[in-house]
Amino acid sequence: MARLALVLFVLLLPALAQAQLVIEITQGVDDPTPLAVVPFAWEGQGTAPEDLAQVVQEDFARSGQFDPIDRADMLGFPSREAELFYRDWRAIASEYVLIGRVRGEGPNLNVHYELYDVLRQARILEGDLSSSIGEARMLAHRVSDAVYEKLTGIPGAFATRLIYVSVTRNPAGKDYFRLTLADADGARPIVLLESREPIMSPSWSPDGSQVAYVSFETGRPAIFRQVLATGEREQLTNYRGLNSSPAWSPDGNTLAMVLSKDGSPDIYLMDMASRRLTRVTRHYAIDTEPSWMPDGGSFLFTSDRGGRPQIYRYDLRSGLTERVTFEGAYNARARVAQDGRNVVLVHQRNGEFQIAIHDLVTSRLQVLTNTELDESPSIAPNGSMVLYATKFGDRGILSAVSVDGGIKFRLPARSGDVREPAWSPYVKY
Amino acid sequence: MKSGRARHTQIGLVQWAGPFAFMALVSTGLAAQDYIDVEAERRAAQAAPTTAPTGAVSYGVGGVSAATTTRSLPPPAAPASDNIGGLFNQVQQLQQEVMRLNGIVEQQAYELRTLKEQSLERYMDIDRRLAAGGGAASGATGSGSTAGAANGAGGAAVAPVIPPAGSQAAEQPGEGDAYRAAYALVRGQEFDQAVAAFTQFLQTYPDGRYAANAHYWLGELYLVIDPADPEASRQSFMLLLSQYPDNAKVPDALYKLGRVHFIKGNSQRSREYLERVMREYPDSSAARLAGDFIDQNL
Repeated sequence: MARLALVLFVLLLPALAQAQLVIEITQGVDDPTPLAVVPFAWEGQGTAPEDLAQVVQEDFARSGQFDPIDRADMLGFPSREAELFYRDWRAIASEYVLIGRVRGEGPNLNVHYELYDVLRQARILEGDLSSSIGEARMLAHRVSDAVYEKLTGIPGAFATRLIYVSVTRNPAGKDYFRLTLADADGARPIVLLESREPIMSPSWSPDGSQVAYVSFETGRPAIFRQVLATGEREQLTNYRGLNSSPAWSPDGNTLAMVLSKDGSPDIYLMDMASRRLTRVTRHYAIDTEPSWMPDGGSFLFTSDRGGRPQIYRYDLRSGLTERVTFEGAYNARARVAQDGRNVVLVHQRNGEFQIAIHDLVTSRLQVLTNTELDESPSIAPNGSMVLYATKFGDRGILSAVSVDGGIKFRLPARSGDVREPAWSPYVKY
Repeated sequence: MKSGRARHTQIGLVQWAGPFAFMALVSTGLAAQDYIDVEAERRAAQAAPTTAPTGAVSYGVGGVSAATTTRSLPPPAAPASDNIGGLFNQVQQLQQEVMRLNGIVEQQAYELRTLKEQSLERYMDIDRRLAAGGGAASGATGSGSTAGAANGAGGAAVAPVIPPAGSQAAEQPGEGDAYRAAYALVRGQEFDQAVAAFTQFLQTYPDGRYAANAHYWLGELYLVIDPADPEASRQSFMLLLSQYPDNAKVPDALYKLGRVHFIKGNSQRSREYLERVMREYPDSSAARLAGDFIDQNL
């Protein structure tokens, strides 16, 4: 096993350019709301470490629901209410104005932000947030979250992160696989694990502090967990056959996984305290891809026990399995939104694999994408956007679509292939 | 079957290493896909069981990585005889068949459930519209849920626009208008004229789409005209039963026949009809009304 070339990168190494994602919005709402994000005033020594307002502006542009006004069109850069003249903003048809001030205090940044409604001529939101200088971009995303929630009624999901697998092809030999952590906007990518063997199925712990994934570094699939802050990692399984699809339960105490050690692939639960395994599905068909319901009382999984892959639900309290999807001959890789109602999955239609959303209450299925090789959907913690892997040209890229299908954007990597995105839960600050 | 089991495990792994239909991962040379391609699996299953097991097995999930991630397993025990191989083959075929049938049962159970829900929805919708029509006509609720006066006037309230379910006849030109005109007379409480209109309607459109409804209304109307004509009412309801035995109005007609016989003083016949609707249409509201009527009057 010495042949495996495994390099563990320490967190906070400089970002590696090859994994950097670039966002291109391909479809937004018909009538996005104009909003002005005025450059925040810097109240500290030297220059500001990060242009927070620029980060906020990009967040809103990426949402597809807002049309941030170009700085060059602004008639002034107010940072206090006294400096704000509503007629200036009416003149450039801005409906809302966000102003702010950033202050450096030792290793910390404090931001004060105020949101104004131009039509009502009133302040509708203000707040203070702080973080370390190193987390300046995350600080800006948190401002975006607060403003977005005020304007839309839906909590923002800008201050979240992604994990994905990027692959650099090596024509001369084996490819490089990198498990990469980045902000939700694709910035600040950090390589968590690099390997010459495949890395698959990253899955967040519910508190956002750890990931579980499958690595082939030992020559066969094994499930690992890794603590993001320290890089500490641990091999959890080494069973004969398949070890795949780890999924953390909502309380973080149990890891669902797929093992084939007893024959056909079935779903097992590993108690994280005792490491004891419980087999929960028992079928000669393939049972795989568990995804927990938010209450932790049941999970969805993919099974071909009905001859074709469909989504089933296993209830841990009753031990009963019921079929969930009936539309079409192929529904797989379900992920449940935090509302416990929307399920994103891969649906086959006319021979093409697309991302669809299934409503558990009405049993209606709506296809969201129109590309043909879509896979691995992952839903934002606020339930508004779905991130998935697809092919663009001959490259694997990440794309995102809103749950109503109205907003679409791509996050292609500058080079190489990107796949298997996993959107983080909300992280506490 | 021990050797069969060993082979099963192995074949399962080989199947898992098969290319997945949609990801074409082979082209990228990557093994980072954990979707199952059941088609490929089935093809492999059909091809594999009779072939002799090989010594090496890929633990990779993608085809191409097999070369780099292969490792040797202890060679599985050779089949004791062709017989065991044949049995294994049969078991696999049976499993596939059971899975296929399982899928069909699931699908049909789902469709049945959906149909039931839809028909209940449709019924509720009709019931709601009946109730809405009844309020205006006579202050009583519709025929499906009437608990009105013993003379049956409460039933004179079915909305005219609802086509009779189960009727195969196509609507004839002018039929709908004639029917609606007759029904308007019911709504206007012009019962004598309504009887004439529905009688005329049945002469003009004896096989029309709304003929069953017209018979029903005549049955109702003969009970509310002054003086009432229970025998004519009975005949109208009987015509409905004999000519349109599958009509949606049948349970209501049976219930009404029970009441007609009660009015005519024949408690025994009355009870027969009421019990029949409870037995044959236990889920209908007519059955519920029949039960109530028996409890109160018989």
